[in-house]
Amino acid sequence: MPIAQHGVHPRIAGAGLLTALLICSAAPGYGAPAGDEPVTAGGPATFRRLSEDQYRQSIADIFGTGIKIPGRFEPPLRDEGLLSIGDSLAVITPSGIEQYELRAREISAQVLAGVAKTTMIGCELGSPKTFDEPCARNYFAKYGRLLFRRPLGDDEVASVVNVARSATQQTGDFYKGLQFGLSRLLVSPNFLFRVETAEADPDSTASLRLDDFALATRLSFLLWDAPPDETLLDAAASGELRRKEGLNAQVDRLIDSPRFARGVRAFFSDMFAYDEFDGLTKDQSIFPKYTLQLSKDAEEQSLRTVVDLLVTNNGDYRDLLTTKKTFLNRTLGSLYKVPVHQAAFGGWMPYTFGSSDPHAGILTLAAFLMLDPTHEGRSSPTIRGKTVRELLLCQKIPPPPGNVDFKLVQDTHNLLYRTARDRLTAHRDNPACAGCHSITDPIGLAIENYDAIGQYRTQENDAVIDASGSFEHKPYKDVVALEKILHDSPATTNCVAKRLYEYGVGRPVVPAEKQWLEYLGEHFAADQYKFPALMRTVATSKAFRAISPDTLASN
Amino acid sequence: MAKKWNRRTVLKGMLGASAITVGLPILDCFLDANGTAFASGAPIPTRFGTWFWGCGINAARWFPEKVGSDFDIKDELRPIAPYKNKIDVFSGFNCILGGKPNLNHWSGIMATMTGACPLKGGMGSGTAEAPTLDCLVSDAIGSGSRFRSLEIACTGQAGVSYSMRAGSTVNASEVDPVSLYRRIYGSGFQDPNAAEFKPDPAIMLRQSVLSSVKDERARLMNSVGAVDRARVDQYFTSIREMEQQLGLMLQKPAPAQACVLPKEPAQVEEGPVWDVALKSHDVLGQLIVMALACNQTRVFNIALSTAASNLRKPGSAVSFHELTHEEPIDETLGYQPESTFFMEKSMSAFASMLSMLDAVKEGDGTLLDHSLVLATSESNYAKLHSIDSLPIMVAGTAGGRWKSGLHINGKGEPSSRVGLTIQQALGMPVGNWGIDAMATSKPITEVLRT
Repeated sequence: MPIAQHGVHPRIAGAGLLTALLICSAAPGYGAPAGDEPVTAGGPATFRRLSEDQYRQSIADIFGTGIKIPGRFEPPLRDEGLLSIGDSLAVITPSGIEQYELRAREISAQVLAGVAKTTMIGCELGSPKTFDEPCARNYFAKYGRLLFRRPLGDDEVASVVNVARSATQQTGDFYKGLQFGLSRLLVSPNFLFRVETAEADPDSTASLRLDDFALATRLSFLLWDAPPDETLLDAAASGELRRKEGLNAQVDRLIDSPRFARGVRAFFSDMFAYDEFDGLTKDQSIFPKYTLQLSKDAEEQSLRTVVDLLVTNNGDYRDLLTTKKTFLNRTLGSLYKVPVHQAAFGGWMPYTFGSSDPHAGILTLAAFLMLDPTHEGRSSPTIRGKTVRELLLCQKIPPPPGNVDFKLVQDTHNLLYRTARDRLTAHRDNPACAGCHSITDPIGLAIENYDAIGQYRTQENDAVIDASGSFEHKPYKDVVALEKILHDSPATTNCVAKRLYEYGVGRPVVPAEKQWLEYLGEHFAADQYKFPALMRTVATSKAFRAISPDTLASN
Repeated sequence: MAKKWNRRTVLKGMLGASAITVGLPILDCFLDANGTAFASGAPIPTRFGTWFWGCGINAARWFPEKVGSDFDIKDELRPIAPYKNKIDVFSGFNCILGGKPNLNHWSGIMATMTGACPLKGGMGSGTAEAPTLDCLVSDAIGSGSRFRSLEIACTGQAGVSYSMRAGSTVNASEVDPVSLYRRIYGSGFQDPNAAEFKPDPAIMLRQSVLSSVKDERARLMNSVGAVDRARVDQYFTSIREMEQQLGLMLQKPAPAQACVLPKEPAQVEEGPVWDVALKSHDVLGQLIVMALACNQTRVFNIALSTAASNLRKPGSAVSFHELTHEEPIDETLGYQPESTFFMEKSMSAFASMLSMLDAVKEGDGTLLDHSLVLATSESNYAKLHSIDSLPIMVAGTAGGRWKSGLHINGKGEPSSRVGLTIQQALGMPVGNWGIDAMATSKPITEVLRT
């Protein structure tokens, strides 16, 4: 249902002021404060499978970074542009459980091993051979709360304690008993999935709201890509997150934490589809510089650039498309033809490309340029154009139709069609193809000055590459000029705001949230497109917490 | 009867062929007089597998002309000629969309595997509207073995799998031979032929852990929305299956004399370069074959590559999939020579799998004879994304319940008829199968032995 039909924000209505609709349609200009948050009916509570990174981070946060995590994780699932939406659809298969069970055993064996185990359990044992129920109860209540991201119910503690008791009796070893109990927590769906529960919202008749612990979990995964820490769980338990000031204080604490950079990296890794680096290969006989290490360094370079601009310097998101500042190590120095004088091999140094250097903005960094798992021996302007449209501008490109005759796209040795532009122009003459290729190819062709691993070039097959084109009716001569147009396009900033919100709530936006997204965009503009501010707006919003009543279980 | 061979001739034959590890033949004394069951009375189990390759075929060079027995073998099918009498070739069985979209490199495989055209996806991934055939079969015959099924992919990508419960999640593939080896033959493996059996008491505790998790079911079902209940349910189904798997490890395994514990393979290179993928296929495939012979699983799925195949020759700029769309047709030959390289090589790889299965002697036949292996691709002619007359083969005889050596023309009927027939041959009480235009109640009676 469109938000306008819901009428009036309760607080505004109570004050007899303008409706939220009118305030928002006033569209404040750049720098002007946005109006009050429009009411949304929310979306479904989600049931999200922890990603591999989130699982690993949970174990590291709760039990320390020294714990080895064995086994294969189930492949992630991308839906509607994000893995974090796919997490809301993913299931755990029988072979997945096999791996989780193996991990659970090996992790608990490490946690409760050696001398550390005696301090870990936090109680004095009479004998390590007999079962100490109060000790076990405390242990599982403490770690259960961290793993389930909420306090355990009495029945839940009892269920785990029972496992530990019988395992202690059978093995004659209390620590072994605790290991089985901890395994029990680690294979639990309440750990492996983020279970969101909702409650009535006293401020709204339109929606329910997440309960405090589910909100704490959404917040910490949004801002840290990690489970809530003790402080945040305490804030949830005390009701602090229900008060505006309490919520703001916690969100600010999370943003000010060193872990925030990790959260920003996680978001951009998802938005830019960096999971595709896993298994990415290029043909080394065509690209001798390409190695697994180069691809890892390219990914790292891009994420360091993002974090430096958006977090360290609290910069403007749009400048990602134009920034000359980046980081290089020796491997990448060879790719960018820049000498890297760094004492430690593999060390990173900040680097600013010169004004005449053809590198500026993320579209000219190796990560973007090489990240095409479908082409290992050459660049594909179509895929690159599609990537820009879909990932940076949130525009959907339809799949190619069936029964297309591809005869016109000729091999690279045809003298008539020496450059990708020649070949694709021929292809676009086919009306069945033209519809989509005219959307993707011009952007991709602007990037043809960089080969499939990101090396700059001016020619292909001895013909000069023409990287010119136009975007939104504005002409450009090359990708650097295109990036400037993208920098100023509202599609760029609207896209990242929409994606961030979807990333946080784990589902695509619903039509009724259109007005809310406009509000978010206005806030983003008023905050000079500073990314941490955008995250703060999302995290502290009512929409972030709102749950639609019709999608929940009837209980 | 098992009289025409002996252990020496089998071993000699093996050494003459490629260097693959095979099980030694089952000694006659273990078998009943008919050679179809162990003397203990346990019948030799029937196995089911799927073998997938991407980007289809050239119909004129692949499908036989002659229908029925003694069919002709054309160039692209030549690698399977030695197994002609153990294979049926199916032509004219279609993916019938019935108004649903043709999702390129996705609809065709889901139609055959699930009996339903998918609504979302393309380029080798998407949704399954119903469980894939292997899941249905493993529900019926897989519960008695340690793994309900085992999946492998040969290009290093765990997400490449065509085994799915309804939804979007694939049953992920093993891609690394060392990991697969350790999963099957590592600490949980119990040699079925070991004289002594001593169950590990820790297994019961592991079972109690999983059993205890079920305490969380009711509360969880109540706290998630209707759509997510199915996902909660899948989680608990997986838990139950794992419990059963552990339960089997507490029982003395039935003897499986064709079972010979393979050696741990060396680490192999992974990736979509043809030679590398083929090597992965053979090493992973041999581990699967021995897992079947050792009763560790009865169901397997092999994906040579993703449907929009990224296989390529070393040093080549373009992949098989790109070639199908971009390579000109050679006017003299009448086909795309570079693309056809991969089509022919795919059949060689399938023949390699058949040779591994057929090399394991069981009773009076081979492991292949006690199996049904469905081999298929997502396209007929990938260049045009055509999904009429999908290339389909079924190898093996399901222990005599399936008649092989035939070429059968479906005359445009849905490819789900093959899946329905397989289920019936495996003894599953299924009268009709498939959804909408793919629904069928007509098994292919020519191949069923009653």
